[in-house]
Amino acid sequence: MTVQRRRVLVAVVIAAILVALSFALGRFGAYLVRAVAIAGIGALSLNLLIGYCGQISFAQGALLGVGAYAAGNLGNIGSGALLALVGAGIATAAVSVLIGLPALRLRGLYFAIATLAAQAILEYLFKMAEPLTGGVSGLVIRMPTLLGFPITSDQSYAALSVAVLLAVWLGITRLMRTNLGRAFLVVRESEIVAKGMGIDVARTKAWAFAISGFIAGLAGGLIGFTNRLASPEAFTLDLSADYIAMIIVGGLGSWAGPIIGAAFVVLLPEAVQRIGEALNIADILSALREMAFGLLIILFLIFEPRGLAALLPRLRPRPRGAAAAVPGD
Amino acid sequence: MTLVLQLAIAGLATGSVYALIAIGVVLIYKCSGVVNFAQGAYAMVGAYVSYVLLQNTGLPAVAAVIGSMVVMACLGALTERLVLRPMLKAPLVAVMMVTLGLLIFARAACLLVWGPDQIAFPPVFPEGAINAGGIFITYNYVAAGLLAAVLSLGFLAFYRFTPMGLMQRCAADNSRAALAIGIHVSNQVSAAWAMSAALAGLAGTLLATLNGLSLGLSDIGMLAFPVIVVGGLSSLEGALVAGLLLGMLQSFTDGLLTPALEDFLRANTSIYSVGALQQVVPYGLLVLMLLLRPQGLFGRRGTERV
Repeated sequence: MTVQRRRVLVAVVIAAILVALSFALGRFGAYLVRAVAIAGIGALSLNLLIGYCGQISFAQGALLGVGAYAAGNLGNIGSGALLALVGAGIATAAVSVLIGLPALRLRGLYFAIATLAAQAILEYLFKMAEPLTGGVSGLVIRMPTLLGFPITSDQSYAALSVAVLLAVWLGITRLMRTNLGRAFLVVRESEIVAKGMGIDVARTKAWAFAISGFIAGLAGGLIGFTNRLASPEAFTLDLSADYIAMIIVGGLGSWAGPIIGAAFVVLLPEAVQRIGEALNIADILSALREMAFGLLIILFLIFEPRGLAALLPRLRPRPRGAAAAVPGD
Repeated sequence: MTLVLQLAIAGLATGSVYALIAIGVVLIYKCSGVVNFAQGAYAMVGAYVSYVLLQNTGLPAVAAVIGSMVVMACLGALTERLVLRPMLKAPLVAVMMVTLGLLIFARAACLLVWGPDQIAFPPVFPEGAINAGGIFITYNYVAAGLLAAVLSLGFLAFYRFTPMGLMQRCAADNSRAALAIGIHVSNQVSAAWAMSAALAGLAGTLLATLNGLSLGLSDIGMLAFPVIVVGGLSSLEGALVAGLLLGMLQSFTDGLLTPALEDFLRANTSIYSVGALQQVVPYGLLVLMLLLRPQGLFGRRGTERV
């Protein structure tokens, strides 16, 4: 069995276990599985852009917002969940390519700052474009239907999210073995080398933004459907920071890192919450949660800059093989 | 006309505070190549430290503000030594993220100690207002604006004309050459962090005297980015000019453009409000600048390392 096949098998098994867990652990378990899965989709999207193609973006939070609003509007006018998610993906891909346009001229730091502006401008538009977004109070999203049946239970949301996560992960794994995927890596390493190899850098970047945007739209749509509300204050720069934290803590440009990082960033606050409730210090919990988050990001980056995914091979005493084909940055 | 002058003066006052923050960001970027998202955190922490010194020690205002600048300088040098130095070879995004982590941590720490509510800042400057030909300007604004402007200029002069400034510029321009002629580069980098944290702390304190003390002070750190892009990423003078420019732009947007636009929209469409337009205008300018003149007003072309 090749490494690729084995990895796919592992992914399918993990997905099945996650779905089983969400049924076994009751509503709260289902909520956690769903939250991790959705964050994992968003992190995979950002990892494609930053980890594989080297384009630093601080606009992920706003892009998730675009996805949530698009899926919400489509759902509200009566389309099914799957159609609404695809529509959200396409809309978000378009916005993402638009944000990426400056990347054709700008590099590295300058582009990162440009995405900061995109984030701010999109946040403003969320508040102002009232017919589409419901303005400051947000857009109330009706219960979505899947193949004609309304999605009601937390477990079915969890299963849907895990299914989308699995599809996205498989898609990206496949993509990274095509010419386009390899072109991403070359562009990340050096645009000059990429040009020398005959890679159309502008087109490659545009594809990276489009694909990453599409996936962000899926994640955003799922966020909208599960929260049943999309409001401007949910999609701020802080959310972008969360997602960058996920892919760095997990391991930049690694194949499992984004999902491990997503699980870490989603579950850490929950864990702090539990511990805090047990210690009876509920009033300072939100501050403690944020402090733990900030401190862990700092410590991680100093002591394990390659992320949690780099710890995985150490657990298994065998050579990494093709796992090293896409090395961390 | 008086309205225009009033807005211009208000804009210059906040603009010079922006300049103080942006100068700090540029200084750190020049010296250590780090884009510091935590500059807003320094401003916020500096303001809280000033508040504690003013409230609890009974020091005169000047001493309290200087004291908070000293504390911030130590904090700045400490972050450089403990957090940024181990990450010298890390990729750009990791360095940006670690400063974001610092911002998140500092905000949470202040939330833990001082709570989420806005605190009234003890008066630093005398009450009252100047009446200059029908324009009223409170002493607060005058003092904050003047102090920020004078300090920015003073810092630029320090950077250009003193031996220490020369060493700073040398270390920033070419750290190897600086090492070769006997400049202790890593000390210079720490010094740059210390100075920029102190400047940010002062800016935060000034801002708190104008708008009150709250966690929201840290948001000003993000506004430094439009400022430094417009000014040119590696130009301290650019940061000063662009800071003033952006302050004015915001003030005019708030006072003139927004009402005019809203009147027009209400007359012709069903849109009632354009919201906080002055908050996005800097970012609009940023995008324009990046598309038309990426090196900024004062930057040099081709300074980016490939």
